[in-house]
Order: sequence, then structure tokens, then C-alpha cells
Amino acid sequence: MPPSQPRNMRVVREIPRQDILFSVARMPNSTRLFVGSSESKVYEIDAGQTTPQARDLADHGRYVTSVRLMGHTVISGGYDGRLIWWDLQANRVLRTIEAHSRWIRSLAVSPDGTKLASVADDMVCRIWNTTTGERLRELRGHAARTPSGFSSMLYNCVFSADGRRLATGDRVGHIKIWDVSSGRELSAVEAPLLYTWDGVQRIRSIGGARGLAFSPDGTHLAVGGVGQINNVDSLAGPARVEVFDWQRRQRVYEFTGQNGLVNRLVYHPQGQWLCAIGGGSNGLVLFYDPAGRSVIHQSNLPMHVHDVAFNDDFTTFYAVGHNKIAVVDIR
Amino acid sequence: MSREFCGSGEHVVSRRGFLGTLAAAGTAAFADMTALQALAVPGVSQDLRRNQKRVILLWLAGGASQLETWDPKPGVRTGGPFQSIQTNVPGVRISELMPKMAARLQNTCIIRSLNTRNADHGSGARLMMRGRIGEAAVDYPDLGAVLAREFGLPDSQVPDYVSFYFATEGRNMAPGNPGFLGARFGSMDLYTSMIPENIRRAGISEQDHRERAELRDVLSRGFGRGRSSLGLDSHNQAYQRVAGIMAHERLFDIAQEPQQIRDRYGPTLFGQQCLAARRLVEAGVPFVRVGRAWWDSHGQNFETHQELVPELDHVMCTLLDDLQDRGLLQNTLVVTLAEFGRTPNINSQLGRDHFASAWSCSLSGCGIRGGAVYGRSDALGNTVADSEINAARLFATIYRALGINPHKNYYLGSRPIPLTDPGTEPIREVLA
Repeated sequence: MPPSQPRNMRVVREIPRQDILFSVARMPNSTRLFVGSSESKVYEIDAGQTTPQARDLADHGRYVTSVRLMGHTVISGGYDGRLIWWDLQANRVLRTIEAHSRWIRSLAVSPDGTKLASVADDMVCRIWNTTTGERLRELRGHAARTPSGFSSMLYNCVFSADGRRLATGDRVGHIKIWDVSSGRELSAVEAPLLYTWDGVQRIRSIGGARGLAFSPDGTHLAVGGVGQINNVDSLAGPARVEVFDWQRRQRVYEFTGQNGLVNRLVYHPQGQWLCAIGGGSNGLVLFYDPAGRSVIHQSNLPMHVHDVAFNDDFTTFYAVGHNKIAVVDIR
Repeated sequence: MSREFCGSGEHVVSRRGFLGTLAAAGTAAFADMTALQALAVPGVSQDLRRNQKRVILLWLAGGASQLETWDPKPGVRTGGPFQSIQTNVPGVRISELMPKMAARLQNTCIIRSLNTRNADHGSGARLMMRGRIGEAAVDYPDLGAVLAREFGLPDSQVPDYVSFYFATEGRNMAPGNPGFLGARFGSMDLYTSMIPENIRRAGISEQDHRERAELRDVLSRGFGRGRSSLGLDSHNQAYQRVAGIMAHERLFDIAQEPQQIRDRYGPTLFGQQCLAARRLVEAGVPFVRVGRAWWDSHGQNFETHQELVPELDHVMCTLLDDLQDRGLLQNTLVVTLAEFGRTPNINSQLGRDHFASAWSCSLSGCGIRGGAVYGRSDALGNTVADSEINAARLFATIYRALGINPHKNYYLGSRPIPLTDPGTEPIREVLA
């Protein structure tokens, strides 16, 4: 795999959109993207076309917050609480499941493609058989309410590279690590600085554990969001990432960036960098060297980014977000 | 005109009629405190108390989003992620974040066509607390002061205007303001303690307080013998009022309520303050504002409303149910209002910004036609499509619902000051 060069980062293309894109998956060895939209639909868009056209796939009737690929099947989840399997070859819905009682925030597919994890604001993580849709496990333990008595949210889930572990993260920065085969909770870590409760000025909160990623060797778990904010009216706080040795339940290091919210974390599969991406009023991206414990490169992006998909050799990434898709080279 | 009431039954009049007569005579009624003594006739007082109107204003400071509360627009570009749900009024849908209110809209009307043209926190808040734009020569009183003036009883042992505002953000943007009505009708502001701190006895026993008051009264009577003084009368009344308020310190203490009631309102500060508001109006306080700050969701609007709207939904429905159960709702008007709404456009932080061009409020209870929806915004919520109203019309509607003539005049010297902007008519469609 050729080394990627975040320092050479440049935006090579911007594809304008009317909608807000919350999620992206990419067909391997292609520029075909599958995006979840504020227009309640899943679209296929080929970012390699001169004039990309959006093709309608599943329709959730509400914001589509997460889209994942399993072979030639697109699995999506949204605020309707449903999971929809879409067969790309037959061009039709394969299966629809009423998966959660509240809004689905994120999906993850295991590396072997056999399992799908979903998290929602009913504070439950469910694991499904990607082929049959059978519900395999229910993982409970995140508190339904914040310490201040308000409804909480369960933002993200991610599998480890070996598929044996699953991590989930919530509104108040509580992260759990589960054994996938047994459903047993293995560990938990806390990132309270990613949650700001203002009980004096504005009597409400902001934040949460939004981005999650296991290191390639599975020993570390990175958690991202926004650090403590003085004015919770906006995302005017430092982008923040904390990395834990989850088995020892210890935070091993953290780093911050420009103001904004880290929505997604991605490790280079060979550990060259950890990428934190997100935004506030603008987009932000930060590449961090886990070995050297230093920032390699950080930069703005043309829009607030909600999700990212890398190409096969991690030298290009496709960022989706507020009214735009950005194609970015790091070669 | 004589300022003394003769005490004869044939001269007993309604308070409204009495004040109207004074106004017609061009008297600066509010400036003459002794005129109010004429109403200290037992029969009149009891009648007023029984039929006394009250208002609880739920002030959603910072600007709650109409799209995530009373005027949802799911499925359009500006609609956001939440759906609408059917209420118990056919054809009326509100945000899915308010399922409890959706089940009990029979006592509530929604106004969806406010265009108040002011998206500034401070001046917008002053506009929406007064119902009118200020002018240099006149310091207009706010809604609480007007209602304290209209409904405050001369022998009242409770304050006439109480305001709860604990958050620090936005606190000074629209503090209680009696304007030209004078401090007598100003607000009792509670910023940090549910129980007024400045009325607590500071290490003096109740007997000491009583004996001091009696001594003060003896000295004051002696001084007043043979003298006629407006200032002395005002001074005596102020002492009587403070003594009365001190005696009713317990009104503010929600620990006096059964645990079951307290549990219904819930553990949040907003819930506790609405319970206190209920206690206060039940005791005869004409106006209570409960400020729930701070809704200014420039970023993460949906997370913010996911947090705050269910709280509003729960507390508001608990309050309405509680007032109904106690037989108070027919004489109590509950208003949800703010300085403005929020933009239909969703910004890059998934926030909504200030917006005063097409937003919503609600009125519940006294004088209101429950289930009514007045006005309509366009498909995206950007403009009012039907039956636009401004702040003045809203206030005219509030006054009319309370039985106050919105066209009546106060007087500043000899200058008549209409209660609402001239030519303003209440919204008859939402009045019972």
C-alpha cells in the first residue's frame, strides 16, 4: 500500500448538493458512493462522473443517518428507526426491519460482513445478521437519561478490525466495549470532557462521544467530539480526541484541534495516522501520528463533514456533509 | 371627583367600571394610590378574588423553534428530522417531541402567523413582553405590570407580579418593567432562590416583627393625624404589602406540596418553577413569568430541542392538568412565548438562527377557544401565508381573553395611553 501523505492534502473536487449528507459508503475499487440524505433517501452518486447524477435507492421518509455496504447490498438506518436492505443488482428493497423505537444514529458492519450493529436513541445497540436480518444480540447499559435528567442519545458504534469487539458511545461521553459473540460488556471508559452541561448560563447541554475507532491492533480506542464549550449555543469549542487503552480503562493520550465537532474517526489500516473529521461553521480535518504523538496535518474543509469514506489505498477520501461532497487527495 | 368612597351599597361598583370612570374623567388613576382603597369593600374583594384572572407566562427565552414545537414541517428541506403527530384536535398536528400536549390540545390554541420583525434578543424580548415598540417619551409597562395593575387587589397579601429567571443568559434582556405605571406594579424577580431572599427574617423572631410593625403603625397614625399625604399613604401601603408578603413566604416553597404533586412536575428547575407558579396564581398572584432559558440553538438545534421540548411538553401539560383539576384553568391564561422563533434554514452546524418573520406561540385556558389554530406559514416556514399578526394583535387578544378592554386608556398626565396600539383588534377566532 503506497503511503498516504496528509501533508499534501488538497481538495480536488467539490460536488454541490441541496441536501445535507450524513453518511457515506463506497463501493470498493470504484468511485461509487452511497449516501444518506436529509431528503430522507439513500442515493447512489458516482463521484468519478463529470456530472454526477443521484440515483434514488431506499426511502426512509426521514433523515437517513447511516449507510453501510455489505457486498452488493446497501443497508441504511435513519430517524424512522428502520433498517432497510437494498439490493443493488435487483434494484429493489430486500428487507425492512422496524429496528429501534427511536432515531437510529449509526450503523457498523463487521469486517467479515456477517454482522451489522445499529445504535439509536432508545439507548440500545442491536446486532443483526446481515444476510438474513435476524436479530442476534441486544446490548443494553447506556443510561436513558443524562445526570441532569434529560433524554440521552447513543451516537455511534464501531467494530474492531478482527470483528471480535464492538464499541458504543453516548451523549455524556460514556463508552462501552462489548464482546460480539457473547454480548458481554468487557470494559467501559469515560470521556466526560466531550459533554458540556451548562447548568448556569443556559441550562442545557451539547456534545457527546460522536466519533469512535479501534486502532488496527485493537488495543486502543479513539473517541472524538468537541471539548468543553463556554457557550453551548454553538460548536465553539476545540475539536477533541481521546485515545484509551480500553482493556486497562486508561486514557493514554488526547489531542485537540481547531473549533468544531469530530463526527468521524478513521485509523489508517497500517497505523500511519488517525484521521479526525467533522466541523463547526466550516469543515475540519486533522491527521494525527499515533506513534509519534503529534499532529501531522490539520486543515479546513469546504463544508461541515458528517462522514467520510476512503479509497482502497487510503490516498483519497470522500467527505460528505452540509450541501456538498468533497473529494480530497492525500497522496 | 371625590377620592373617598362613601361606603354605601348603592355606590359599590365593579373594579373595571370604577377605573373606567376615573379614566374617562381624565384622572391619572394609577398615580392616586388612595383611589384603590375604595375597592377595599369586603363584598367587592371576594367577588374579584373568585373571578380573578391570572396569567402564567412560559417565557422560552432565546427563541424556541416553531418547527420543533407548534408548526412542524416534516419532509421538506427546512423541516428537520422530526415528524409531526396528530393531536386530539382533528386536522391539527404538532411536533412529535410533544406527545403529551398532542393528547390535550382541547384547552390550547396555537397561533402560527406571528411576524414581529425583530430578531434581536434584547429589543425583541422587550417588544414581546410589552406588545409594542417603545418610544422615547413613554416607558410602556410590560404585560406583567399591566396585569398587576388590572388584577392586583388593594388588600392583597401576595405580590402581583412574580418572575422566575434563574439562567444567567438573557436575564437582563427583558427584566420586569412597570414603565410609567410605577414601581408599585413592578416585578418581584427571583434569580437564584425559589423563595424571595429579601423577605426572609434575619434572625428576628415573629413576635419581634409583629411588635415592630405595631409600633411603626402607632407612630405612623400619630404622625398622620390631621395630615393628608399621598406619600404617607403610599408608604403605609408598602409596609402592609411587605408584611403580607412576608407572611406568605410559604407560598413560594414547593416543599409544602405533597411529594406526589412534586413528582408529577418532575425534578427539573423548570418543572419546579411551574409548580411554584401554580401555587402563586392559586393564592391570587395575577401574573407569574417562568423564564426557561436558553433556547438559542445556533448549533445542534435538533439535539437542543430533543432536550428541551420534551421538558416543555411534560411540564406544560402537568401545569395545565393541575390548573384544570383545581378549577383554576378557566380563569388562568397560560402563554408560551419568546422573543422570536428560529430560521427554517438549517445552518452548517445543524442549527437554526434568529427568526421573527413566521413563528408561533400558544395560549391556553382563560378566554381561549381550545383547539383553534390561527394563521399559517408557507410550505417551508419562511413567511406567513395567511392571517399575519404582530405583537400588538397578540397582546390585544391576551387582554380580551382576560376580560380587559384592549382599547382602554391609561393616562400619563393628561395624555391618554391606549393599552394596545390604536386600531389593533384581538383575534376573535381564538377567543371563547
